[in-house]
Order: sequence, then C-alpha cells, then structure tokens
Amino acid sequence: MFRHLKKAALGVAALACATAFASAAQADSYPEKAITLVVPYGAGGASDLAGRALAETARNYTNEQPVIVVNKTGNGGMNGARFVTESDPDGYTLLLSRVGMALYPAVYSDSPVAWDDYTFLGILEATPMILAVNAESDIKTIDDLIAKIKESNGATTYAASGPTAIDGFSVQALLSDAGLDPLSASTLVPYKGGGALAAALLGNHVDFLAISAGSLMPHIQAGKMRALMVYAPKRMADLPDVPTAKELGYATAAQVGGWSGLYAPKGLPDDVVAKWKDILGKVATNEQWLDLAKKRGSISVIGDEDPSTYVKSQFDLYHGLAVKFGYIQ
Amino acid sequence: MWNELLGAFVAVATLPNFIVMAAGIWGGVIIGAIPGMTGTMAVTLALPFTFYMPPVTSLLLLVALYKGSTYGGSISAILIKTPGTASAACTVLDGYPLAREGKGGKALNMALVSSCIGDFISNISLIFLAAPLAIFALRVGPPEYFMLMAFSLTIVASISGRSLLLGIVAACLGLLLATVGEDMYGSFRFAMTEDMKSGLGVVPVLIGLFALPEMLKLAIFRPEENTQAMKLGDNRLTMKEFRGSLKTIIRGSFIGVILGAIPGIGPSTAAFFSYSEARRTSKNGDRFGEGELEGIAASESANNGCCGATMIPLLALGVPGDVITGVMLGAFMIHGLTPGPLLFQNNIGEVYSLFIGMLFSSVFLFIAGKLTASGFAKISRIPQQLLLPCIVILCVFGIYSVSSSPFDVAVLLVMGVVGFAMMVLNVPAAPFLIAFILGPMFEDNMRRSLAISRGDLSIFFQSWISWGFFILTILFVALTIRREWQKWRSNVRAAN
Repeated sequence: MFRHLKKAALGVAALACATAFASAAQADSYPEKAITLVVPYGAGGASDLAGRALAETARNYTNEQPVIVVNKTGNGGMNGARFVTESDPDGYTLLLSRVGMALYPAVYSDSPVAWDDYTFLGILEATPMILAVNAESDIKTIDDLIAKIKESNGATTYAASGPTAIDGFSVQALLSDAGLDPLSASTLVPYKGGGALAAALLGNHVDFLAISAGSLMPHIQAGKMRALMVYAPKRMADLPDVPTAKELGYATAAQVGGWSGLYAPKGLPDDVVAKWKDILGKVATNEQWLDLAKKRGSISVIGDEDPSTYVKSQFDLYHGLAVKFGYIQ
Repeated sequence: MWNELLGAFVAVATLPNFIVMAAGIWGGVIIGAIPGMTGTMAVTLALPFTFYMPPVTSLLLLVALYKGSTYGGSISAILIKTPGTASAACTVLDGYPLAREGKGGKALNMALVSSCIGDFISNISLIFLAAPLAIFALRVGPPEYFMLMAFSLTIVASISGRSLLLGIVAACLGLLLATVGEDMYGSFRFAMTEDMKSGLGVVPVLIGLFALPEMLKLAIFRPEENTQAMKLGDNRLTMKEFRGSLKTIIRGSFIGVILGAIPGIGPSTAAFFSYSEARRTSKNGDRFGEGELEGIAASESANNGCCGATMIPLLALGVPGDVITGVMLGAFMIHGLTPGPLLFQNNIGEVYSLFIGMLFSSVFLFIAGKLTASGFAKISRIPQQLLLPCIVILCVFGIYSVSSSPFDVAVLLVMGVVGFAMMVLNVPAAPFLIAFILGPMFEDNMRRSLAISRGDLSIFFQSWISWGFFILTILFVALTIRREWQKWRSNVRAAN
C-alpha cells in the first residue's frame, strides 16, 4: 500500500516539474498539452455540436494534442464565460462563444462578464434561425401570422428560452417591425432548450416560434412544421421557397441571428493568437468541418469577419434592441 | 420487415458491438455505484469516443452506460445508504434497513432482478409502442404536466415515514430550496453569490442529504450498535419473495415506461411514483420504509423501466427529454442520422440494429450487475467507523470531478449539516428530495399554463389527461386524510 503511495507521490512530483518546464518552453511550441474548450450551454445542443465539431477538426492541427470539450452551463451561458475569463491566459482554456456572450451584457448592466472581456480568436459560423408554425396550423404565410397576432389582441403564444434570449429577440424584432408592441402583442411562453421548444410547437401548445435552424430542420423536413421566414442573409439551400426577413422588409429582424465564435481569456500571448489564426485558417477549408456545419444547418464563416469589430456591432445591435423594446432605459 | 430484421440482427451481432455493450454496461454500473458520479457524466464523457465508431455501435455504448448507471445507483443506495444516482433515492428507504438486518445480498439481488425486468419491458415497449407513446407524450402540454406534478407531490404522503406533518414540512422546504437561482423569465431568486444564480445541483443536494448525516451521527453520538460491521447473511432471493413482488415489478416497469416516454420527467420521479403506488396497493404496505423487498422492487423496476422509454420521444419525434438523450441526439447528428419520423424511413436498418442491440443489453445488465454487486457486497463487511469517512471522501471527490466547482462541494457540505439537523429532528429526507426534484417542473408548468391562458385557471381542466390526474390527486389526498384520521382516533382511544 505505502509503496503505491510513494509511487503516486513521485508521479505527482514529476508531473509538477513537467508543467513547470512546459510553461517556460511554451512560447515556441504551443500547444504542448490538451486544450480545454468550454461550451457554455448543455450537451447535445447547437452550441455543443459546434464546439465538438471544432474540437474534432482542430485536433489535426494542434501538434497531435486533443481539444477536450467541457460543458459549463447555467445563467444564460455566463457561467462558462466567467470560468474562461477567470482562467490563465495560456491558450489551454478557450471558450466556444455564442451570440449570448454579446447579448447578455447588452441587456444586463450587472453582467458578470462584459462583451469585451476576452481575446477574440475568430467568428466560426452563422446559424440561421427559422420562424415556424405547426404544419396543422391555418397560418400559411407571415402575413397570416401578423394578421392573427393583431386580431387576437395578445392571446397568441410563442415559445422561447426567455424574453431576453436570442430566440425571444427574434420574435420581438419581428413584432416591432410589424408596428406591434414587442412585449405585449404576443405572449411569450418560456421553455428550456431547443428540444423542449420544438416539442412545444409539435404538440400544438404554442402558436409559433423563431429558433435556430438546427433544432427545427428535421421537423420541417418531416412535414410536421411549416417554415414561414428565415433569419439569414440569404435563403437557405434546404428551404429555397422560404423568404428571408430582409426580403419581406423586416429590417430589424433581418439583423437578428445566431453565431459561434472562439474566445480566450484577456491577455493571451501574441504567438498563441497567431497560432490559432493559423489553425482556424486550416479548419476553414477542412472537409469534415464544412460537412459537419452543413449537417447542423449552419454556415461556416471563419475568416469572413474581423472578430472584435463583429462582436462590437452585435453588442451595439442588441443593446439598441433592448432599449427599443424597453428592457433598459 | 422480416428481411430487414434479419439483416439488422446479422449487422448487430458482431464481436465489437458485444464488447462495447459489455464494457458500457459494466462501466455504467461502477460509475452509477460511486456516489456523485452519474450516468449523465458517463454518457457525456463517452461522447467523444463515439465519433470514431460506427453509428449503431456508438449509440449502443451510450445506451449501455445509461442503463448500467441507472442500475448501479442501487448498489450504493442499499449498502451505504448513499444513492449513487437520484433515481435510486427511493431504494435507500428499504434497501439500507435490509442491509442492516444482514439481508444486503437479498436486497441487491432484488434490485438487480427488478432492474433487468424493468429494462426488458422498457425495450419491448420502445420497439412496439413507440408511435402511440410518442403521440401521447406530445399531448402532454404545460397544464397536463402541472396536474401530473401535483399528483406526484402527493407521493410525499407515502414516503414520510411516521409523521405526515413532518413529511409535509420537509417537502415545503424542498420546494423552497428548488426556487434558488434563475427563474424561467430570467429573474434571480435567493441568488446571493454568482454561483447561486444557476441554482443548486441535484447531485450535491442528494448526496449531502443522504450520505453525510450518517457520518455526523457516528462522529457526534458514537452509537454502539453502529460501529459493528454488517453481516451479509442470507443472500439468495427465494422464488416466493420474487413471486410476491412480481406484480409490483411489472407495474413499476410500466410506470417507468409511461413516465419515461414523457420528455423531462425522468427516472427519479418514476421511481418515487412506483414506490408510492406499491405502498398504497401492497398488503405489506405498512412495512414499507422499514426493510421491505417489495419497496426495492417498485423503485428499481421503475427507474430502469424509464431507460428504454426515454428513447421514444428522441427516436420517434427527434425531441430529447433530458441531458442524456440530448447527448444521444448529438451522437446521432455527428453520424449524419436525424432522429424523428424520417429516421424510420431513411435509416430503418440502423433503427432495427439499435433495437436488437438494446434487447441484448438487458442480458448484459444482468451479468454485469451480478458480478459487480457480489464484489461491492463485501463493502458491508467493513466496520462503519472506517467505511463512513471513506464514503465522505468519495462523495466530495465524485462531486468535484463532475463539475470541478468548489461551489458544488460547499452545497454538499451545507446540505450534509441540514440533513443531520433533519435526522436529529426526525424530519424525513425523502420528501425533501422529491419536492426539490419536482419543484422546478411544478412551478414552470404552472406559470407556462397561466401564461398561455393569460391567468385563466380553466386551462387546467381542458383535457382528459388533466382531469384524470386531478381526480387521482383528490382521491389520494382524501384517502390520506382518512388514514391519518383513523390513526389519530386509534391513538386517542389507546391513550384513554
């Protein structure tokens, strides 16, 4: 028994030495150990799948070091974000960020992490959102929906993660564009997670919703839901007949949409930033990455946007919306 | 169909599939048996490995881990009074008293047999009843959920032990604790620190409530009888005992299947539900909670009865009901399979292979459970003053390894002290736990219903499902009042 303990103690000591050396030699040979990629939302969701796809693809370019996905959920994604910003800026703890990381601080002034408390490494993908109704519904077009909302005097219902979540903003932006009161024209019914949201519409418990395409595409393809509008710059390849918000003239709604990015704690060394720019450049053209993105229903945008400018514009957009909708003064 | 079935059989009956299933089940049983480590953790950790496996093999691995861990929770529930998973909390009530009587082996065998039967019935239901159960599950909307939760809370009457009043007090405290954190509209309640904003985890609360008080009791009161090691005693489950519980096992399995098919309900609620039903209908009902094999049978058949059925909404609708099926959805997507109605059209071969593999896994569960339980049973020979400190270390380690969050460890320790205070005051822990688990579902669905109806209460009485649960709730409450009244009367008479 004690012999084993001694062995274990030696092992720990050796490990400690190795780590000390590693941090000294880090500059030229990053990464030297496994990289942790924190996903701030639950396993199996759209952000988790994006994180795991990135981990799988990026490992080909990280000196054989694995990228390990860890889900740290809670508080609208801010728990995971806070964990990463409080970690050492050594490049071994990264964050798979989502639109929530810009949206939350835009709405809550007491957000535990500000929108720019990070080193931005890149914007990875855009995830279109879809406005859908149950296939049995008598609502066939977006005009039918707006007419029904007007006529019902607030009694229509839509499912969303919460009033100030991206899938709440998607509907509120549409209502605002249609000249209705974004908060009271239709009643929000909160559900947790893409699966529960989709089930609420499938079971006819709510009238409509506008959430990420990945959670809805299987149901639309199976003929259980009808897509009325997409929140994306252009029509989706799988839904060529469904108009975009922009085409329909809903200017605010046209700007709303989901995305994923890769962030690191503030103060990341320049060589590590450069290494990740290089890795992401390779990921951008990787067949597996593109294939997995297509399966999730998202569009890879690596390298298309300057990350800090993009995140700033997103923060401003949602801050403006939060003021417009009356969440903040 | 037969051609495809045969083809699927050939496809699934390969050595790698069997090895993966056996390893998954065994690993699951061990992880489930370690307090603090849960099936969710096992499935999440295994997900990256499945990227390199064929789709059916990878899904079989995840299912095997889930089933194994759901059973494994009962081992530690029986032997060390610490449910390895929340769904085994009900198994503690009768399992631990049996172990103290020296019948630990018998209890373990009963848990294993009930789990395997529940598991098998669940798999069969998944294969033959997936479509109707999925339609039923979709019809359960917020008002129906609310009524179901209201009925589930009447379970408190069955698990309160000697005093119903103290049971209700415990349940109210559990409901109160469940409100900590962010509510469904995004406002915070009792969020005194940043960590509390996301609420308290079920696992730390569960382990703190059940495992730590025993340790504190030993340290503070130093009771003589507790320091002795338990004797294993008669191990075998007799045919008579099995037959006596068979009805309960079958009923528990179907409760598991139906509740498992409704997204979000899960095995813990099913186990409590089945236990309450068994206690109400069994002729041994009065002995429940003091070491009754039938209680174990009720709880364990229902929690494993959920396992196969939770796949129903996932496969038939493409809707994951909990974190575990959420991870499975991810595994499907990674392999380019999309669960939902289209899966049965486009990938029927994979679906049949998965079904056949799951049927085999019930057999693996029995073998792995038998081997592991007989190994773990030796734990009960360790004297308590050595065993309990080890359990505490294991709990802290287990909790920290899952979340790497010191906050969860703090919750564990605080709940340990709360649990000890409750033990000293004779307040039962089980009603506290069930209320804590059901609380968020109870509240969220009430608020959802009222949001939909804009405050009109008649929404709760608009479908036969809500009416059914409403009538059951009223009946059960009336029966409980009558029973308490009679107990009070006979006490008064005895006192005179």
